[in-house]
Amino acid sequence: MELHRKPELQQRLAAEFALGTLRGRARQRFRSFIAEDPALAAAVQDWELRLAPMVAAVAPVQPPARVWRAIEERIGGAPMRSDGIWANLAFWRNLGLAASGMAAGLLAAIAFIAPQAPSPAPAPVVVRVPSGEMAATYLAVLSDPKTQRPMLVVSAGRSSNELWVKTLDPAIHVPERSLELWALPPGQAPKSLGVIAPSEKMTALKLIAAADQALAEVPALAVSLEPAGGSPTGAPTGPVLYTGPFLKYW
Amino acid sequence: MGADPLVALLAACAQSDRAAFEQLYRQTSAKLFGVALRIVRQEDLAEEVLQDCYIRIWNRAGDYREGLAAPMTWMASIVRNRSLDWLRRANPEVIDVDGEVIEATASEGPGPLAALERLQDGTALARCLGELEAKQRQAILLAFHDGLSHSELAKHLREPLGTVKTWVRRGLARLKACLGARAGS
Repeated sequence: MELHRKPELQQRLAAEFALGTLRGRARQRFRSFIAEDPALAAAVQDWELRLAPMVAAVAPVQPPARVWRAIEERIGGAPMRSDGIWANLAFWRNLGLAASGMAAGLLAAIAFIAPQAPSPAPAPVVVRVPSGEMAATYLAVLSDPKTQRPMLVVSAGRSSNELWVKTLDPAIHVPERSLELWALPPGQAPKSLGVIAPSEKMTALKLIAAADQALAEVPALAVSLEPAGGSPTGAPTGPVLYTGPFLKYW
Repeated sequence: MGADPLVALLAACAQSDRAAFEQLYRQTSAKLFGVALRIVRQEDLAEEVLQDCYIRIWNRAGDYREGLAAPMTWMASIVRNRSLDWLRRANPEVIDVDGEVIEATASEGPGPLAALERLQDGTALARCLGELEAKQRQAILLAFHDGLSHSELAKHLREPLGTVKTWVRRGLARLKACLGARAGS
């Protein structure tokens, strides 16, 4: 849909998005348009500001104390700024817990838009692996820790020095940023495995050695959001978006 | 009106200041919980929404731009968006189409419009809402405060879906024109 050619429709949908009457799939689709169109994001924001004073009329309700305790727990385990996260090994022990909410960075450019809600049940993932190689494959399904939705599948034959990355949802790519894949060896700094190509569904990444040597001791993989082209420092600099255990499938 | 103290708290949160974050929570959580509760209409869901939103606020405090919106506006937008997303997956059976829960909560305290009129910031919006036809105003207030979709509005107001959609659309267009005219004058 070429929304930018229909300014009236654009305005109307922006208003209904902000008001809340744009629902379900239409809401999710519109959100993806917003992510690609700064003018549309601005229109939504204008509407949010127009309607915002109505919030003042909402009666406050004291939330139970357990809400704050849960929030504290979630921010308590690790420094929340992205530069500190990777240095903290305790973080990896609570991977799913601590990384939740970090997908926030994905939409950092759109200050007012919340992320897509978790789907009720993740769709089944079908991975086709050539039957001859099935007996000896490293496999990881990386998911969004918050929604548990699988987003990428990573695989490598034991003796292969190529790692295959399949993107399950092309919408994970962020304009002018790169998604970088990391190995998380225990007790060591994350090691870059390369940048995931933005347009192709499958990316092949070269390993420094056969998977059996390069990755045998790696229990988990993660994907972080980095500047275009990948982390400039060789260590992750952006938020952790997807994580998953790296398994030996044989 | 002096500077909003929440601006400084958000700035401190952006520097990972946990004490400031706790302050921010103490000062804003009741209002934001109210916002979430009105929309999702289930305490446990509203608690979860609130939790997620504060984590998001903590992580993204650095994205807040003072010139753009008041801190409460920024935070409430996050909560409203999250709440509306949760509604999508909520059990349809708990959706209060008959409006019993809505009527119950709506009867507490002054109506949204009356409350709006008492507020400095809300004056222009309250006046413009006041200039709408009653049906348009009611539809917009219900949609905003209670997170009612078009079809829920239609059931609640006992009117055809198309009619309700038109009220909302025309109401929003008139609201924009009215607010725009005021900003210009």
